[in-house]
Amino acid sequence: MKITSIQNAIHKNGKVHEVLRPLLGAALAVFLIYRLYIVLVVQHEYGPETWTRLLIAGLIIGSVYALIAIGYTLVYGILFMINFAHGEVMMLGAFSCFFVFEAFKAIQVSTDPPQSFSNAYPVLAVLIAFVIGMTVSALMGYLLERIAYRPLRKAPRLVPLISAIGASIFLQNAAQLLFSPQLRDVPNPEVLTRGSGWALMINGSKVIIPYTGVFTFVLSLTLLATLYLVVQKTKLGRAMRAVALDKTTAALMGIDVDKTISLTFIISGALAGAAGVMWGIHNGLVYYYVGFIPGIKAFTAAVLGGIGNLPGAMLGGLFMGVIESVGPAALGLDFQLKDVIAFALLIIVLIFRPSGLLGEKLAEEKL
Amino acid sequence: MKKIQLFALLSVAALLITACQSAATPASGSANAATGDAPEVCATDSFGCAVFKPGEVVKIGMGAPMTGGDASYGIDISQGGFIAVENFGELNGFKFELIAEDDQGTAEGGAAVANKFASDPAVVAVAGHIYSGATSAAMPVYEKVGIPMLSPSASLPALTTMGSAVFNRIVFTDSRQGPPAAEYLFNTIGARKLAVLHDGSDYGKGLAEAVAAHFTELGGEVVITEAITKGETDYTPVLSAVAAKNPDALYFGGYTAEGAVIVNQMKQTGLENAAFFGDDGTYGEDFLARTGANGEGAFATIAPIPAESPEKAAFDARYLEKYGKKAGTLSPYTWNGYDSTAALISAVKSVAVLGDNGNLYVPRGALVAAVRNLKDYKGIGGTYTCDSTGECNTLPPMFVVVKDGAWVPAP
Repeated sequence: MKITSIQNAIHKNGKVHEVLRPLLGAALAVFLIYRLYIVLVVQHEYGPETWTRLLIAGLIIGSVYALIAIGYTLVYGILFMINFAHGEVMMLGAFSCFFVFEAFKAIQVSTDPPQSFSNAYPVLAVLIAFVIGMTVSALMGYLLERIAYRPLRKAPRLVPLISAIGASIFLQNAAQLLFSPQLRDVPNPEVLTRGSGWALMINGSKVIIPYTGVFTFVLSLTLLATLYLVVQKTKLGRAMRAVALDKTTAALMGIDVDKTISLTFIISGALAGAAGVMWGIHNGLVYYYVGFIPGIKAFTAAVLGGIGNLPGAMLGGLFMGVIESVGPAALGLDFQLKDVIAFALLIIVLIFRPSGLLGEKLAEEKL
Repeated sequence: MKKIQLFALLSVAALLITACQSAATPASGSANAATGDAPEVCATDSFGCAVFKPGEVVKIGMGAPMTGGDASYGIDISQGGFIAVENFGELNGFKFELIAEDDQGTAEGGAAVANKFASDPAVVAVAGHIYSGATSAAMPVYEKVGIPMLSPSASLPALTTMGSAVFNRIVFTDSRQGPPAAEYLFNTIGARKLAVLHDGSDYGKGLAEAVAAHFTELGGEVVITEAITKGETDYTPVLSAVAAKNPDALYFGGYTAEGAVIVNQMKQTGLENAAFFGDDGTYGEDFLARTGANGEGAFATIAPIPAESPEKAAFDARYLEKYGKKAGTLSPYTWNGYDSTAALISAVKSVAVLGDNGNLYVPRGALVAAVRNLKDYKGIGGTYTCDSTGECNTLPPMFVVVKDGAWVPAP
């Protein structure tokens, strides 16, 4: 009786958040400071070289998450639906990378001494891998929209969501049947051998910044910057923003809504494809399930940054990658708990900023 | 509308057909003493008899990882088994068959495959499972229906201490793999600071703990113990934390899929001077293919390669002819797969009774006892005699190292 009356009182005044949030915030802050103090001051286990290594690993995986997260955010911004099959689009990109490199490894060029195409012309090989990977994924994004989402555009919001989950399972199983469930190793050109990179001496220990990682990071940022310019500065971008605001009015103003939505899916597919190719080059293992976990992580990153917000998705992706990698060491926890830390972070951010780190009010209005 | 009706009709028909099939199977394959003129032994046997009409096939099951990152183990061991069936798989006109089902090496998969075998009345014995986690999940299922197991490769020590009547193995146990590995690390490699990683599986964790305990006893220091999540492709964060402790060597309890990723990422995380020491789960061609130059100097333990004998030579030649690969390159256990399947077939032959009506009767309880009482069975890998707990192995493991892109016996 007493408890309910307190609850009623809190609810009546609409103060439930005002009471709980500071309490929760204080508890969290105390916990974090305590753990950080233990790890950084008392135990002092890791030197700067270890933190640098963790940060590098986090930024690389984070930039892949960011690229995938952009796809979620773009589609959400325009259709207010979560494209759960997006991770599988990335998986197709990774498979394209595998097949292209495998083919180039088999082709012999008559240089002196004779070597495989991918070793003779590594830049060209990588470029072609990206073109093919992005094309395949863009095509898949387009088909997904045409087949799984467009017929349901007028349906209640949950329906396309279920359709997306179905498409995701379908693509996974199709890849398993077509490409067999075995793990495939992506044969990189020799200059991009995994594990080779620039060496940095920190604290008497060699810290390696892998070529593949730098490549992934730089390319990811370039693609994201290009996309931002496209959305902000071009006619297509203006059309996308108009459709996102109000489809009917946009149509009245002479914008082809269907075409704009298709283009959005093509762009988000191409970015996921690029992420897949990067995954293939940097991580090197490809199989039918490879897109699922990064897809979920990237979705989380998109929500973390404020879904529907482009810079937010990028920031969320990088943040997610770094937290995942640095978090366990910084809090002195087991490394198996990295996903726990990452998802706990999501919950915390959503409690304090329900619309995400960079989320605008817009996100709430759309819901 | 018509289409819908047609569809409904078809689905009903399909349902009926499947229903008939499932009703028909037990009648043809199973059952027990109640049927007509079955031999006396079936009436007294605790699990009854498996009955085979002329033309039916006696099945030996195998639960193995046939897909995924560790598939080479399942594929290789079952291939050894197929050759055993070729050589010995015939009894009074009844053919034997080895059914290799994919359990993905996981506990869930192991239980699922076990249930599948248990509900198939033609399966009389199981040459497996391959991985310890899958095996321990599968054991209780076989225990209930009286299907004996003879695993070629499940090495978790606890498997034979649970009082199971059906589980036996011809592989060494990890209690003969862990401590020698620790000694090798301490004495031969000269490591004093050891980092221990494992994949959280029954097998990997048990092995890692055994190595860590013995290494400490010897006077070494275990500087860090970490668990990794199976199935990931980026272990650089945990390896960076390991590198911060400056270990001389890294012991990994687990399988090829993760082991190869770890070896690839050791150089970029500051572990370039630490030796990688794996186990009998990180051996094989896949490991070499995935690690390339990074794999040089990596250690593993394997079941000893059998001594040369006419049987081994015949097997190796047949393996090469049939699968296009040298025996023993995919996993260390193809000979064990052959031996375990062949031993099971010989046990089945020793208890099976041919009825007057031409049916073959395999008393299940007697078969369980026959496998446990295996004595002086001569296989390619040695002579096997099972003790009362189901340990049938005699030889300890040996150490191998990657040199110039190939596994060679370690010095």
